Amino acid sequence: MNGPDLLPLVFMLPLVVAALLPALALKRPELSWALALTAALVTAGVAAVLTATLGESLALRYPVGGWAAPLGIELVFDRLSAITIVFSGVTALALVFSRTLAGGLGPRPALFHALVLVNLGGLNGFAVAGDLFNLFVFMELLSVSAYALVAAGRGSGSALAALKYLLPGAVSSLLVLFSIGVVFALTGSLNMADVAERLGPAGAPAATALAVALFASGFMIKAALFPLHFWLPDAHSAAPGPVSALLSALVVKVGVIGLIRGQLLFGEAAAPALSQVLMLLGAVAIVAGAVAATVQSELKRLLAYSTVSNVGYIALGLGLATTASVAGSLVHVGYHGVTKAGVFLAAAALIERTGLHDIEDLRGLGHRMPWSAAAISAGMVALAGVPPSAAFVGKWQIALGALEAQQPVLIAVILGGALLALGYGIRVINALFFRSPTHARVVAAREAPPSTVLPLVVLVGLALSAGLTGALMIDFVGPVATAIVGAIAETPGGR
Amino acid sequence: METVLAHLDYVAVAVVFCTGLYILLARQNLLKKLIGLNIMETAVFAFIVTTGMVDDGDPPLLAGDLGPAFASPLPHALVLTGIVVAVSMTSLALALIVRIHCEHGTIELDELLDRDGS
Repeated sequence: MNGPDLLPLVFMLPLVVAALLPALALKRPELSWALALTAALVTAGVAAVLTATLGESLALRYPVGGWAAPLGIELVFDRLSAITIVFSGVTALALVFSRTLAGGLGPRPALFHALVLVNLGGLNGFAVAGDLFNLFVFMELLSVSAYALVAAGRGSGSALAALKYLLPGAVSSLLVLFSIGVVFALTGSLNMADVAERLGPAGAPAATALAVALFASGFMIKAALFPLHFWLPDAHSAAPGPVSALLSALVVKVGVIGLIRGQLLFGEAAAPALSQVLMLLGAVAIVAGAVAATVQSELKRLLAYSTVSNVGYIALGLGLATTASVAGSLVHVGYHGVTKAGVFLAAAALIERTGLHDIEDLRGLGHRMPWSAAAISAGMVALAGVPPSAAFVGKWQIALGALEAQQPVLIAVILGGALLALGYGIRVINALFFRSPTHARVVAAREAPPSTVLPLVVLVGLALSAGLTGALMIDFVGPVATAIVGAIAETPGGR
Repeated sequence: METVLAHLDYVAVAVVFCTGLYILLARQNLLKKLIGLNIMETAVFAFIVTTGMVDDGDPPLLAGDLGPAFASPLPHALVLTGIVVAVSMTSLALALIVRIHCEHGTIELDELLDRDGS
């Protein structure tokens, strides 16, 4: 078995284990956690092997059932798909984290673990789908499991939060499906590489514009790009701790990856309008998300709005459409995933141990739960993009892109967003370490067990130091960035 | 006018889609919102099925006498998958609505939000 033959495993493995898990764990519930964790770890290994096999080449292709593209279904592992390592790794760490929460995940933890694996299978499948319809199916797989995961919490508001997440999510999926239908009617093909070649000669600018608009708006809702982020704060703050981390770090990225695929797919048909919209909304989202985060009183809501701000950075980088900024956006997709997962898990540890949600109530907790509090503090600093943290690389590259595109105002926006992020980060750090406790439960709190603290330390450690590998990552995604910029700028003036 | 008549199916799809969207946005009852969503889904499925139609084409059945022109079967397969996805989402939403009713005693969104705020 050589490299490309492993490709289907990257999503089949979690899906198959997820299907078997409730049955396997029926007699021995304690097995389900270990099995789910093993599946996630092996998937991460498969993703790493695939990325290593990728080497200098741009994409591994796997024709499903031996039918060659464009007629057959094709799986493509390109440099963008390397994000599956982050998807699988973060899911594995979130599962490690959830071990001690088993009681808080309903009567059947096996179902929760199965849902997490379905979610992982959907994420990975989405990243390697080579045709539009599988893209849609995997998107639905991960979305439906995400809605159910939000409702897995004990809280009485969780079902309502899940439904408030489901309705816009379902509408966005429909918009994408509608767009896929229009594209299929125009080109008679679903293979993404094939469609990209056929759309130009199809010569139907109005219908193509409709497809672009539907595709982009659908994925903008999924990505929670301002002002379509309205569903995000409720869903992310009502979900159980590890689920919030998965949603904010990974599931939101699906929308972003969809937008990137859309830019490659539609190329110059989408170029000026979509880039302008992404740039404008991205810039507004950076500031609006950061300001909204600053005024939140609930810790998880603060982090949710910080995700809105960071999606703004990614959209801005894509919209600027210079090689530097697009590469910055691509690395920020992965780096923000790692950072936000660490911060959200740390917040979940603090909240689970005390039962308190407001930042003011958590005052002084730093002395009772030193590891978790230190992890969230370091994570908040990393989130702001202080070098050599992971978030620094993306923001720096996007700022470089703004400089190249001669948009000094946007540089101010990028810096302002980072400063605001440092501001709300310091607010959290200040409350945790430099204020005296006001709440009895804070005084009585104990540090979380090692299985909870370990994922925090790993993720936040990565978030703080991964900036050192920035040049390597920028080189790695370089060809994708060049391809996107090339697709957008292709044959100016003539189709 | 002739273009509209020639593409009557697209007009119908647009009307049904917008009807569903209106119900989804304007109604406060969660169940009605879900019905609106299902109407939107039906519109999209109908659109995809019509894209497979060929003028004077036969149904794409190998058992019958397949004429020279036959409808493209691929959109049908796509819509089948789409329906499966839609059913799973609807069932999940219905389960959530039942749980909301058990917890709060109402499924009117405005009442639910009022209680949330107070």
